[in-house]
Amino acid sequence: RMDLEDDTTILTTLKSFNSFISRPEHPQRLSEHSAGSGILQSQYKRSMELLEAAERVHSKNRYLQLDQEKKQMELSHKRARFELERAASDSARDLEHEVDRNQELLGQIKKLEERAEEVNKKLTEQKEANDALQKNLEGLNKTLEERDDKLGTANQTIRSLKDEIRELRQKIQNQDSKMSAQTLENQELQEKIDLQQRYTHKQGLTLSAQSSCSDHIIKIKELERRLVFQEQDFAIVKTVKSEVARVPDLEKELKRLRDDNAYLRESRENCSLLKEEVEGLRKKLERMEKTKEELINMELEKERLTEKLHAWENLGQSTGLNIRKPEDLSREVIQIQQREIALKEQNYTLNSRSVERSQSELRAELTQQHSKTLEEQKKREAQDALVRRLQKRVLLLTKERDGMRAILESYDSELAPTEYSPQLSKRLREAEDILLKTQSHNAEMEVCLQAELELESLKKQQASATDSNSLLTKEEVTILRQKIEDLERERQRLEEQNNILEMRLERHNLQGDYDPVKTRVLHLKMNPTAIAKQERQQEVEALRQEVTRLRDLVRSLQSGGAVGHSQDDTAIENLRKQMESSELRNQRLKEVFQRKIQEFRTVCYVLTGYQIDITTENQYRLTSVYAEHMDDSLLFKKGSNGSMQLMETEFSKTLGEMVALHLHHQKSIPAFLSAVTLDLFSRQTTV
Amino acid sequence: VCAWHPCPSTETALGSSDNLEHRRKDRQVRLAAFGINSILYQRGIYPPETFTRVTHYDLSLLLTTDPKLKSYLTNVVSQLKEWLFECTVQKLVLVITCLETNEVLERWQFDIECDKSAKESSAPREKSIKTIQHEIRSVIRQITATVTFLPLLETPCAFDLLVYTDKDLVVPDKWEESGPQTIDQPEEVRLHSFTTSIHKVNSMVAYKKTESA
Repeated sequence: RMDLEDDTTILTTLKSFNSFISRPEHPQRLSEHSAGSGILQSQYKRSMELLEAAERVHSKNRYLQLDQEKKQMELSHKRARFELERAASDSARDLEHEVDRNQELLGQIKKLEERAEEVNKKLTEQKEANDALQKNLEGLNKTLEERDDKLGTANQTIRSLKDEIRELRQKIQNQDSKMSAQTLENQELQEKIDLQQRYTHKQGLTLSAQSSCSDHIIKIKELERRLVFQEQDFAIVKTVKSEVARVPDLEKELKRLRDDNAYLRESRENCSLLKEEVEGLRKKLERMEKTKEELINMELEKERLTEKLHAWENLGQSTGLNIRKPEDLSREVIQIQQREIALKEQNYTLNSRSVERSQSELRAELTQQHSKTLEEQKKREAQDALVRRLQKRVLLLTKERDGMRAILESYDSELAPTEYSPQLSKRLREAEDILLKTQSHNAEMEVCLQAELELESLKKQQASATDSNSLLTKEEVTILRQKIEDLERERQRLEEQNNILEMRLERHNLQGDYDPVKTRVLHLKMNPTAIAKQERQQEVEALRQEVTRLRDLVRSLQSGGAVGHSQDDTAIENLRKQMESSELRNQRLKEVFQRKIQEFRTVCYVLTGYQIDITTENQYRLTSVYAEHMDDSLLFKKGSNGSMQLMETEFSKTLGEMVALHLHHQKSIPAFLSAVTLDLFSRQTTV
Repeated sequence: VCAWHPCPSTETALGSSDNLEHRRKDRQVRLAAFGINSILYQRGIYPPETFTRVTHYDLSLLLTTDPKLKSYLTNVVSQLKEWLFECTVQKLVLVITCLETNEVLERWQFDIECDKSAKESSAPREKSIKTIQHEIRSVIRQITATVTFLPLLETPCAFDLLVYTDKDLVVPDKWEESGPQTIDQPEEVRLHSFTTSIHKVNSMVAYKKTESA
């Protein structure tokens, strides 16, 4: 590495230096002997080389110094970094512990708050239940009071009714006694009447009897009157009886009311009892609630403890050690602790050993370093001494050189060639350049060192800054994420709304809705619907007018008044006249036809001698003018083919020959008919 | 006898206008006229004896002979042709109103989507007769098929043609603005849509629900 190289360079330089130191004695001697310019040159060369070497050594020394310083600083940096990291890790650990503790505490707080809420809820519920119960009680009290009032009034009514009942009963008794007395009187009187009547019958119509009769009659009348009164009284008594009959009902009501009373009193007592019970129950409830809460707490604790127990019991399984009782655990723990202690001791010893070793190593290193430094210092001192010596020598040499230069110049001026000075000057320049370069190199090295130092300090600062930044950014990130989620939700909602609205719009578009801002609906003014509507209107108007007109007509016709000179009336009149005339015509025609038919028939009868009657459809009866009997007639039937056929009649039976001859043989009905007429005529005339 | 321009069997021999666009509009407008006529016939707005069969594009189609109706249809259709050419028409609606109650019973709506960019394109898409026939047949077949489910119009009815246009249009002389004349709680049935070279027509019919159904 560089150190070795530097060492080697140092060594080489030293060697060269030593050699150089040992040598110049010779060239000095030589120079003393010869005054050749070549020796001077070599001397000069050597002096220059010395200078250069000296400078190089100086720079290298400087460099070595700087290197050493750098290394020291690095070491110190590393140490500082280690310590800082350790401190940072410790603080991080502490932070984590604190955070965990914080969270635990927060969880506990939440649980406690929840419990407090639950308890509050229960309290309110209990209060509400209490209020409800109190209201019930008040209601019940009110009902009880009402019932008491009712009871009092009922009692009063009962008392009044009782008095009434008593009075009525007395009346009834009086009436009964009166009635019985009166019935007895009635019976007696009846008997008396009977006796009296018997007496009147037995004694005959004597005045005394009469008088007694009249007396009796008067008595009877009186008795009758009394009877009537009694009957009235009887009726009254009946009514009274009916009223009295109600008494048992009243008594029943009385009983019922008394029972209700007693029941209500009991219920009142029960109510008070219930009140007390309710209070007792309420108190119990409260106590029970408390016990329940305690129970719950106890259960929770029990659960926790059981869990712990389980965990403790499972410890044996989890750790794989033979643990059955806590003593085993404690033993194990003690063992572990002891082991730990032993291990710690070992660790400490090891650490101490290692530390000692490292210490020793470090010390050895230190000593080494010290020795090295001492060596180096010595070297430096030696080199300083060398340098001083060299400087002195250099001074001497420079003086010598100046002297030589002066001599040379004198020589040069004498010689006047320009052979050596340019070379010398060139070499001078080169040496100066090299010097400058080494100086600049030194400066750069220093600058680099400084830069590295600054970088390290910056890095430390950045490390501290990024920690704080990361926390801030995390918060920002969470906030931003929440914002993003909210926005996404809103966007979805808006999208759904948009979809719904678009669907609605499309439906409306389908149905024919339009956006009045962008579209217009046009149609021709004279379109068929409008025209049809107009026509319809007109029709309706015309119909209405006609209807009113017809109504008026009908009204006028019904009333029978003079018909107005309106067109319809004349039309009706015309129609009526027409009808009448046509009917007349019909009648006349009928008469005419009738007459004509009659004429024709008579003419036929007269001319042919036969009266032709139509009996039924297609049947014709012919009666001759010369018929001997009224009902002698021939019956002809018109067949389907139009031919006439003679039907059998009594008269036709007598004309069998003629039928055979004229109809069957000759097949002529007129001949037959004329033969029949001739025959009848001949018979008539002969007779 | 019809009031339209004479149209022989082949498309190329049209004498009314040389411009292809006009020919296209003519055809579309004629389609609309055939459709309206067939609706009027099928729904019985006018008595069937007032319709005659006429041959166009080798198809036998029904057109009305009632002179008033014919003049009304020519007015509407000529104006519609102009507007179609300018692509300002959005919908064409045929509304059937009951005269007794003044309620709208049926509403035939044709949404026209006009491709305005294609208006200027001069790519001459000559349509063969078969495609024209196919279009007309499909329109008329659909209208006829709706008779199966549309409720009977038992009361006397009249119809009206409404055109939905852009708002910034100049309203011509004989036209006026009217309401959309929608049906209260309608039943809606979408029919096939068909496309011509630059228009796409969606058709649907809405009718009033009958209480007995």
